[in-house]
Amino acid sequence: MSDPSNTSDQNSATVAPELTRREFLQTTSATVAATAVVPALVGTGSASAQQTGNDSTAIELAVNGVSRAVEVQDHWTLVELLRDHLQLTGTKVGCNRSECGACTVLVDGEPVYACSQLAVWMDGHSVTTIEGLASNGQLSVVQQAFVDHNGAQCGFCTPGQIMTATALLSSNPSPDAEQVKSAMVGNICRCSNYNAIVEAVVDAGRRNGGAA
Amino acid sequence: MSEQINYAVEPMNTIGNGTARVDAVERVTGEALYTRDQRLPGMLYARILRSRVPHARITGIDTSRAEQLDGVVAVITHENAQIVWGAGSVSGGRQYNDPIKEATLHRRYIFNNPVRFVGEPIAAVAAVDRHTAEQALSLIEVEYEELPFVLEPEEALQETAAQIWPEGNLAPDFRNNFEPMVTRRGEIDAGFSQADRIFEDRYSTAFIHNAQMEPRCALAHWEGDKLTLYTPTQGISNCRHDTARDLGLADHQVRIICQYMGGGFGNKNQNQDTDLIAATLSRRSNAPVMLEYSRKEDWLGVHGRWPTVQYYKIGVTNDGTVTAMQMNAYSGMGPYRKNSGGISGMDAYACENLERTIYPVYTNRTVSGNFRAPSEPHGHFGIESMMDEIAYQIGMDPVEFTLKNMLRPTDAMPFTNYSLDQCIARGAELFDWQARRRVTPGSDEGPIKRGAGFSFMMFRAGVGTSSAIVKVDGRQQYTLFVGVTDIGPGAKTTMGMIAAEELGVPLSQVDIVSGDTDRCPYSVGESGSRTTIMTGIAVVEACKNLKQQIAQRGMPEGANVLIASATPNPTTDGKVRNCFAAHFCEVEVDTRLGTTVVTKYVAVHESGRLINPQTALDQIRGATIQGIGQALYENTLYDRNNGQPLTSGYYSGRLATHLDVPDIEVEFIEVDDGYGPFGAKTAGESGIILSPAAVANAVSNAVGHRMKDLPITRDRILEVTS
Repeated sequence: MSDPSNTSDQNSATVAPELTRREFLQTTSATVAATAVVPALVGTGSASAQQTGNDSTAIELAVNGVSRAVEVQDHWTLVELLRDHLQLTGTKVGCNRSECGACTVLVDGEPVYACSQLAVWMDGHSVTTIEGLASNGQLSVVQQAFVDHNGAQCGFCTPGQIMTATALLSSNPSPDAEQVKSAMVGNICRCSNYNAIVEAVVDAGRRNGGAA
Repeated sequence: MSEQINYAVEPMNTIGNGTARVDAVERVTGEALYTRDQRLPGMLYARILRSRVPHARITGIDTSRAEQLDGVVAVITHENAQIVWGAGSVSGGRQYNDPIKEATLHRRYIFNNPVRFVGEPIAAVAAVDRHTAEQALSLIEVEYEELPFVLEPEEALQETAAQIWPEGNLAPDFRNNFEPMVTRRGEIDAGFSQADRIFEDRYSTAFIHNAQMEPRCALAHWEGDKLTLYTPTQGISNCRHDTARDLGLADHQVRIICQYMGGGFGNKNQNQDTDLIAATLSRRSNAPVMLEYSRKEDWLGVHGRWPTVQYYKIGVTNDGTVTAMQMNAYSGMGPYRKNSGGISGMDAYACENLERTIYPVYTNRTVSGNFRAPSEPHGHFGIESMMDEIAYQIGMDPVEFTLKNMLRPTDAMPFTNYSLDQCIARGAELFDWQARRRVTPGSDEGPIKRGAGFSFMMFRAGVGTSSAIVKVDGRQQYTLFVGVTDIGPGAKTTMGMIAAEELGVPLSQVDIVSGDTDRCPYSVGESGSRTTIMTGIAVVEACKNLKQQIAQRGMPEGANVLIASATPNPTTDGKVRNCFAAHFCEVEVDTRLGTTVVTKYVAVHESGRLINPQTALDQIRGATIQGIGQALYENTLYDRNNGQPLTSGYYSGRLATHLDVPDIEVEFIEVDDGYGPFGAKTAGESGIILSPAAVANAVSNAVGHRMKDLPITRDRILEVTS
């Protein structure tokens, strides 16, 4: 929730033509890389990154435990890399501007909005998506709890909710409802299935027996 | 109705057991394929250029630079693509059909000139990738001759207001008469003369967006003269019929596929301009085209709930009997009438003397259309606030006032069953109404004040025509074909459970095929609280037929199959069939900060027999929370000076998060009235109808001032308390 009395939205002055991501990056790429938006990810682990062309770079990353060497265009976001180039469409795009959390994935175990990370920043990092949670056909504890508690209505926010919950349980194996709500505040569910989601995550913690 | 009928619900084998969705695993593993997850060989990506101004004539449009950009395959504008989007503007605002499409005076094309709202499509581009398409948009040059604009419906009816259509800003009815919608019964003047006191007030509600998580998109693909459209829709049958009509095709030339879709809440009824634009670009480029909207485009380019201004005049006697009810109201429709603009709620009262006048008004805002219970939540907020205020003014408990005045069955108007009294009594008990409400509103000492509010509703649960096919094969495995799309409530699972129950087999023995017009028969669509009832009845009838065949011919063996279909046309024998609910809400308001927290919420619903109690529960909880958001947070604001929308996104639109919502305590009263599939009614829209009213009444009870405008934001609370 934003401040109810604040009605400004700096991004809403015009609808079109919106600055495209490519144009934006052409004009501000140095600035973006230097800002503290994602301090944990920027400028680290980039030993293998190779500029291969004017606007593309070869990177190495682990996706769901598998090492991948990919050439990415510098304006690609992580969610584009996953959905359009690695065919991992389980991660959803709800707003493409860090407001809804549908695109949440884990980078080195931490939940991040994949719409707001550049793919090139993933060099040397490990990415886990919704497709990487089940092993040998066995759902993860969180996934199973979502099945049992009707955690998904339309299901579009569900991958993001599950990724954030998975990260929460790895740091806090048996959270209470308030802790779940705080950790998952960045994942919007317009079906407003919040009660069921919280029940699922709390129950997943219980089933864990306190071990993530 | 004094006659007591036993509506008891006997336990069943499958129905009534909380059941995980048949596709739950796909939903939690990312395997569920939504429209944007589809990929076709050679697929192009498309984007739309939209109006930056609220009202303008386009005097020039130059697409040459865009067309020359490497990777651009097709560019369309109003100059080279003139297709009427029938469902986008309908005289009378009804769901449109062939005659109404012909009759509709104010037609909406996929690209219009003049443009009439910020976000209206001007051009569309198909290109080899998304970035190229976006870049091409920035190369299209548009010359606008800006026109005066108007944002507020009351203002739009003044003579000096900007004219959006030649005939003025009052939207016409289905006969193209420029008249408001008027309902009259009884003698309104006589009713007021019987009253001891007359209360008058003004209420308003905001434009709020459906804001379903999946933004609009469509993937179009032609094979010869056959169009296949992957599109998120709440009704594949309607979407096919509407798309075929708009494109001049026969129904069988269009195939709609929607297996999974990311919510709609009315935003994805019928077909959309998205579908028509994607189909046109695909035709022109000889390639499959994926058209995607950004979140902001979805917010501005599709539709949300109409904003309203409601003036009430209510007459009551000293003993609390309502003698006359009058409303004059205005609904802001945007510049095209996509739906009725209705404002309901007064019909829930028995008062004989009623007059209701609603002006559906064109404005230069984003178009208004269906949002979960399209006419209800804002109207219930208005009338329930009015009645709550009257009750306190005359020293009555609002619950007692309601019990005295609410509509009840009569000999002239029988109901299939009526359980509102039980809902209210049970809710008051669970909530501890007498202890929580402040008999003197605002009487808590200190800056943090609590209060409680109540609301009630009855809502249609009518029956109607839909179709189903069921097959059994030599393995004794059943396949159910139903034209439903699972937009969130769980229709696939519900239909499967109904079939399993009727067939007397476990749910695992029933495969469900849905979401594809080439594989499934007609279904009413996931809107209007109809699927469970109407398609459910068709499933029951088809299964009965199949059982008869099995009884006569035995189970099929080997490669043989037996197939049954049904398209029943059920009735309720002239009786009103409704679902019922009562909500009780407690809030805590910090009058120093203006913040409101919901501290307790009880919802008691009668939705007939529950097919799947698990999904029914979450329909009520989810809808109730959406209504809390409407009451306290959401508003799509516009800058009055330049007509620009200011809050078109999740953050600025202030959608509720995990931290903003209470636990909703739901209790169902189950009945089987003998109609509907095993007595099932509807749950999808029910919760949102009455929750804004309950929350607003609770805030008013806490602060001791009537809150007359939604959303009840901090500044509005501080306005009355500081």
